[in-house]
Order: sequence, then C-alpha cells, then structure tokens
Amino acid sequence: MESNWVLTSCGMCYVGCGIRVRVDDGVVTGIEGDPNHPQNRGKMCAKGKAGFMNLYNPHRLKTPLKRTNPKKGLHEDPKWQEISWDEALSTITERLGAIREDPKKLYVQAWEVIGDNFYWLLALGSAFGTPHLMGNASATCGKVIHPVEFFSGGGFHQQPDLHYCKYLVLVGTQFAIAARGAFNHILLDMAEARARGMKLVVVDPVGGFAASKADEWVPIRPGTDSAFALGMLHVLLNEAEIYDKKFLQHRTNAPYLVGPQGRYLRDPGSGKPMIYDTADRSAKIFDDPAVKEPALTGSYDFEGLKARPAFALLREHVSRYSPEKVEEITTVPAKTLRRVAREFGEAVSIGATMMIDGVELPSRPACVDWAKGPQGHKHGFHQSWALKLINIVTGAVNVPGGILSTAAAGKKPFLWWPDGGTDGLLEDGGHILPLPHPKAFPGRTPTRPIRMDLAELFPLAPHFHTLLPITSEDPGRWGLDYRIEVMLHAPTNSLLGSFGDLKKVERFYQTIPFIFGFAIEINETNLFDDIVLPFPTYLERYDFVAGTGLLIPHCGKDDWFWQVRQPAVAPPEGIRYPQEVIMEIAARLGILDDFYRLINHAFRMKEPYALEAGRRYSVTEVIDRMARCWFGEDRGLPWFQENGLVRIPRDVEEAYIGPFIDARLPVYLEHFLQRGEELKEVTDKMGLEWDFSDYVPLPEWLPCPAYDAVKHDGFDLIAVHFKFPYVYGSYGNDNPWIDELCENTGAYGVLIHSDVAKAKGIADGDEVWLESPVEKVRAKAKVTQCIHPQVVGIGGHFGHWAPGMPIAQGKGVNFNALLPTEMERIDKISTALDHCVEVRVYK
Amino acid sequence: MMTEETSTVAVRVKFMGDLRAVIGKRDETMTLPQGSTVGDLFASLCRSYGEPFVSRVFSKAGALQHYVLVFVNGENIKEAGGLGRRLEESEVEIIMLPMFEGG
Repeated sequence: MESNWVLTSCGMCYVGCGIRVRVDDGVVTGIEGDPNHPQNRGKMCAKGKAGFMNLYNPHRLKTPLKRTNPKKGLHEDPKWQEISWDEALSTITERLGAIREDPKKLYVQAWEVIGDNFYWLLALGSAFGTPHLMGNASATCGKVIHPVEFFSGGGFHQQPDLHYCKYLVLVGTQFAIAARGAFNHILLDMAEARARGMKLVVVDPVGGFAASKADEWVPIRPGTDSAFALGMLHVLLNEAEIYDKKFLQHRTNAPYLVGPQGRYLRDPGSGKPMIYDTADRSAKIFDDPAVKEPALTGSYDFEGLKARPAFALLREHVSRYSPEKVEEITTVPAKTLRRVAREFGEAVSIGATMMIDGVELPSRPACVDWAKGPQGHKHGFHQSWALKLINIVTGAVNVPGGILSTAAAGKKPFLWWPDGGTDGLLEDGGHILPLPHPKAFPGRTPTRPIRMDLAELFPLAPHFHTLLPITSEDPGRWGLDYRIEVMLHAPTNSLLGSFGDLKKVERFYQTIPFIFGFAIEINETNLFDDIVLPFPTYLERYDFVAGTGLLIPHCGKDDWFWQVRQPAVAPPEGIRYPQEVIMEIAARLGILDDFYRLINHAFRMKEPYALEAGRRYSVTEVIDRMARCWFGEDRGLPWFQENGLVRIPRDVEEAYIGPFIDARLPVYLEHFLQRGEELKEVTDKMGLEWDFSDYVPLPEWLPCPAYDAVKHDGFDLIAVHFKFPYVYGSYGNDNPWIDELCENTGAYGVLIHSDVAKAKGIADGDEVWLESPVEKVRAKAKVTQCIHPQVVGIGGHFGHWAPGMPIAQGKGVNFNALLPTEMERIDKISTALDHCVEVRVYK
Repeated sequence: MMTEETSTVAVRVKFMGDLRAVIGKRDETMTLPQGSTVGDLFASLCRSYGEPFVSRVFSKAGALQHYVLVFVNGENIKEAGGLGRRLEESEVEIIMLPMFEGG
C-alpha cells in the first residue's frame, strides 16, 4: 500500500486551518491539524475532521447538468439532463453574449471564500462590466463590522487581544468559543486567557456556547445592543468619568469643534476642522503643530458661532441613556449594567503602559467585542457602532489587551498600512490586496440608481444584495428600466443563506431567465439553475488564496503565514478546476485579457510574473506565478506543495498598530449629516419616501419592527439566530458525521425558555408550530433556561429539502425563511436585513 | 497620435468594471489638446457623461474614489503623477473595481 501525507488547507469553513491529509492508495483516510501552521497550531474542529465525508459524498455532482423543466420553483424538479462541458460552456457563453451590450444585466454571487474563486468570480464579472457583484453571503454578517473596522481600526475585522486582555465583554458574538476567523487559534488563546484570570462577560439573548464558558451571561432583549452600549458609555463618561483623555485629544476627532448645525467648525482658508487649545485659549486648526491641550469639554465662540468639542456632545448625548432608562429598553438590570461598566472602566487601566520587545506601548486590558448579532437589525449600523465607541473612548484600540484590527498592516511580502485622509481621520484601511475595501468613511455620493441593488442610495454601505428581492418585484418603482437576466453563482446556497423570506427569493429567482453556477452537491439554490457545473471539494483543489488568513488571521505577535492549497487527491474525472473554467468562459467571451488585467492588479503581479495578454494558462501555472511573484523565484508552487506554507514573523508595529498609524479615529460621524442631506436630494427627486433616522453623527437606539410588533400584533416572542461551532458556515450539513453531532446535541431544535414553555403547555421535545409574519414551520422545542424569556433561539443553517442533500433533508429550521424582506426591515446605512423577527409558538 | 495640423492627441479610453454599465460602452477614442493631462481627460468625461459619472468617480473635487484605478499605457497613475500625468499617444484604462467584501 502506498501512503503519503499531503500538506494543504482545510475548506470546511472560511478559516482555512493547516491540515495534513493521509492518502492511502489514492484514498483519503484521515485528516490531522498541521502543528506548524499558525492558523490552528495543529488543532482541528469536528467539522474539519469530518471533511473527507464531504469528499466521498455519494451524491456529489460529477458532470455538468442542464434543466429540462422550464418551470422553476422552490419545490420544482429541474429534471436534470447530463451534458458535456462544451455544451455547458457554449450555452453559458451564448446567454452571456446576449447581454454583452448591457452588462449590468449579469448578477454574480461570488462568495466562495475558502479559495480563489471568490475574487476570480468578481474579476470575471468586473471584466464583463456588471456592477452586480456580490462578494458576501449573509444578509447581515459583515455588513457593519467591515465598514466600521476600516474607518475605526484600519483592518478587515476585529479581535480582542486575548494575550493581554483582563476583561472582555462579548456582545452578540461567540468569539473564540464557537465562531470567528482563525477559530482554532483563538480557541487556545481564549482558554489561556481564562486560565490566566481574564473575566468574560457575554451579553446575548441566547445562553449558548460562549455564555456557558463565561463568568457571567447577561441576557438582553434582541435589537437593543446600542442602548446597552450607550448606557455603558454614560456610566464611563458621566458617572465614573473614565476615558482616555490624551488619546481622545490627539488620536481622535473628539476635540473637533462642532457648530450649531452639527458640522465641524472649519478654518475658512484650509477648510480643516478647528479645535480649541486650552493651553493658550485659542482656536487652531486640528493639525497645527502648536496645539498642546485640545479642549474636550466646554463651549466656545468662534467668529460669532457657538461651538463645542465633539466629545462634549457625545457625553451629553449618552447622558440620556441612564442604566435605569436602558433597563426599560434592554431588560438588563440597571445595577448589572452599572457594575459591568465600572468593572470594565477599572480593568481598562487608562494611562498604563507596557513593554513588548523593547517597545513601550499603551496597555488597555479590557475591550468590547461584537460581530453578527448587533449588525443584524434595522438600525444595525448604530447598534454596532455604539459598541465600538466604548473601545475608542477608553483608548483600547490596536494596543495590547484591547480590540485589534485584523490584517490591517504588514511588512512582508509587501508593505501595507492604514492611512489617514479626509479631516485627518483614518480613511484608507490596510489590505494586503490593493483592492477597494468596504468602509463607511467618507462614503460615496448618492445618485439616481442604475444598479438593481440600489447601491447608489446606500452611500455608506459595503454590501447591497439584500435589496434585490425587493427591487426585482417592481424595478420601475426605483426608476430602473431593466431586469437581471443572467445569474452566476458560486457553489454556495444563497437561496437559504443570503436573503430572508423564501417566497420572495423564489419570485426573484423566477424573474431571472438564465441562472448558472457551480455545485458540489445539488442544494436548494441549484434547483433554480439552468446549468450546473460540478465543483471540486477543497481536498481536490489548488488555491493561492486558501481561507481567510489574508483578512482575518489571528492577531497579536504570533507569526502570520501564507499557504497555498493543493489537492490531496485528483478530482473525479469530469470535474475541472474552477479557475480554468472561469478563464475558459472569459476567453470565449473575448474578455480574457481584461480579466488578466484585474487579476494582475489584485494580486500585485508584476513582470515577469504578470499574466500576459493573449496567452492561456493552467491553474498551476497561474498559482506558480503568483507564488514566485510574492515570495521569490525559489518559492513557486512546487515549494509550497512540499512545505505547505510560509511563516511570516510580525514585529510590534504590525501587531499593535495603534500608536503607529498616522490618522485619527472618529467618535463623531459628521459625514453622516452630509451624506444624509445629499441622499435626501436624490430621494426627493425620485419621489421616494426614505427613513433618514440613522443619518446622525452620534448613535441612537431605535427599535426594530419586532420590538414593537411583539407588543401590538399578536406575536409574543422574538426569534433570533445563533451559531454552532460544528455547523459553522453550513459546509457540512449533508455530512453524516456532522449530522450525528447535531442529532446528539439537539441542534435541530428551537430554544424556548422554560417559563414560557410551561405557560404554553410545551414540553421538551414537543413538536410545535413556529410562525412569523411570512412563514409557518414545524419545529422541535428544546426547553431551556439558557435563553432570554422573550426570545426563541434558532441555530445553524438547517431546513433543507433538496433531494441532493438526503441527510440534511427535513432537519431543523431555516431561520432566514422567517424574516420579512421589505424596505422597512433594511438598515438604511448598512443594508443589513433585520434578523430579529416577531413569532408565535404553539402546539 | 498627435497631428501637426491640430496639435491634438487621440486617447483611447477603455472602461472596465462598473463604469461599463455607467457609460454604456466599453471604450471610446477622445481627442484632447496637446499637453492634456489625465485630469483634463476626466474633465472632458465629466462634461460628456455628467452627474452619473462624476458622482461615481470622484469622492470630492480633484479626488478619485478609492475604487477607481487609472492606468496610462499600463502604468498606474498613482505611481506616475496622478491626475497631472501628461497624455501623449495613450491608451487609458479607467477601472472601477468592486469592493473586496466579506460576511
């Protein structure tokens, strides 16, 4: 028997852990964590260990298919017919060719973030000329964290610095316990931090995995995170007077003077914001080298105008959120909030410093972390932004113990670094790929939309796809005179995962005359396809970008890395490498050279490695060129195949960028006023009614529709979603080992508080009806004390019915299907679809 | 190419990414006075395509949005004089890139 171990990258979620795959006589027989890989340090999760059951799934697609049933619907049988690759690609080229002169009729769902295809599909769509490029999957997740992080941290995502943190508050996230990037790395950091004595407070409607590991679980009513944050800010700023004065004075816009209309007071000559220097009692331009003591409080006259520092406005603003007032909104007892805020304030140690590798740095060993939960609301931006402000006012950003920005800066193999811009504020986030990144500052100029996703009406948002099921119902209402005619999708399941109300998504997909995409197994999205192309599993692929180590690596001083994914085994005959399929489509459309131009730019491909116009390449040739371009002539693909990865040490400046960024962070979002006014002009001209309540410079708590609906509309509970570590990202829903885990842990049930269950006569394990305004499903009740009594908890990404997923069929609930999808439930800043919904539960 | 009679240069402008949908065409050849810069080219495009072009391409007067890339004969203008880059016989690519997102 011939046995060997192959070093490659896991693909059972987006993290991309390093793995060693055992192959016996061409058959994968085991997977282990790679101990040399910084992303997981030899550790693996249950999902990763189960990965090769996906490889040997007997229901895998291995040849292109075309539908013969023209009728499309959630439960329509496409009546597949096997076809050749040539017929499939000819048909695809013909249909794309038909919209060649009006490329915006193409919609590309590119999210396949475990490998290259994520950007390659975006580049294909971009070379074609469509603006409808979806580089994200969720209807909520990522819609706020990235635009906030790029303007208030510098990188793609955030991570608490578990190496030095002593007090961590998690709000709506199960960071380092059940979820998040670099998962298997930060799990160990979390365990070590807890053993070291770090206090962990989890604020969440669901008492899930994170809460069970915490010192304290604080149940909170869904959609009230901003009220909680504003209450904490009030205690810190007004009751305890704990804030990092020097940081606010010199590293934020807190001292910028704000005039009566909410706008900065600007120097008439330069247009730059002004501050008031208490050292010599004079107003100065914020970047005047002579500034010594910028005022954070007070009121000043400046050429007849009264102005106050932004920080003074923030303090006054949060004073309306006393813990007692916040208790009414959140149900969190005032004394709990006050205690947590004061404990946080003491732990954050304003003024402390520490030495790391001979460099003195501020030490702020306390921070607040948030992720999916707060983002998923009608007012998701401000729900989240208020939480980030806690870290900013205490100076706990990008310093030891505080909140760190992921992948914000690096020196090898290229230099990338966040930078300041407009008004001295952080404007250009750091990104290893020289690509535009999502950021909410300074935003774009609103204008009359030509995009079907109305991106032009969301000038501060990074994502827009949640609008598509709404606009597709009546494009004319939005001034649009066309429809999406072709959709291309990655091998993911957008129907279940990227939108809400399934009936609305069904109608949207029914309006698209031609849909094609990739599949490993035929899921519910594929049921709408006209042509499906088979896709290799991660154990059969090459990827230069393997996972999200380039965007969400572990933070701190541990080594960074770059790994190239290689096949452990060859894909079955009939399955082609997706990069080669994409290049083939581009070539047939006559846009291959444009595609190369975009790839060369995105991956910094210079001569002699740049892809050359007029040439054709195999996937291995492209990756070899990329690897040699980045890491040197001797480190091409063969080197990576033998060695797996390059480890890249990070110095103190890269690990803790806070003191080394030449830019200020915001506490006051002046530009929201400007963008709101510009947008109002556009919507007025279009005759649209629009909600501008979120276009304010300081965060406000505003209720979600569910908050009021449970009081008035006959609904008595609010449904929310939570994650399981072993079904993270739903890559294993049809995997028998994952299914067994789910069965044995009751993951397919819905959580109902024991008091509520008792009042309704529901016992643990009972079949119940779960009804939202748009969906009514059967579910199994899991009665527990570990959920807020006003909440129903639904975990995972379940509720499948596709015949191609026989193991997953009929198990659990598809949470998104419960969500009404209408403009009133969309965050007007971020486009997040509200992920809390009013429901009733009964037998 | 420059012509002696008119002292003008012909610049082939290629639109990529979102701009193809905004402009409604893949490329066009523009004639500009000799000595024109990339900034002059953009001023001409702004006149031709109006507010829909301006609002998408500029973040404020004189500043391109971070998602707009401009190459002159294959060279990124960021590394070659920015909007002040002089145009001779040129092929100009104006690329409006999609955001690299996540979530």
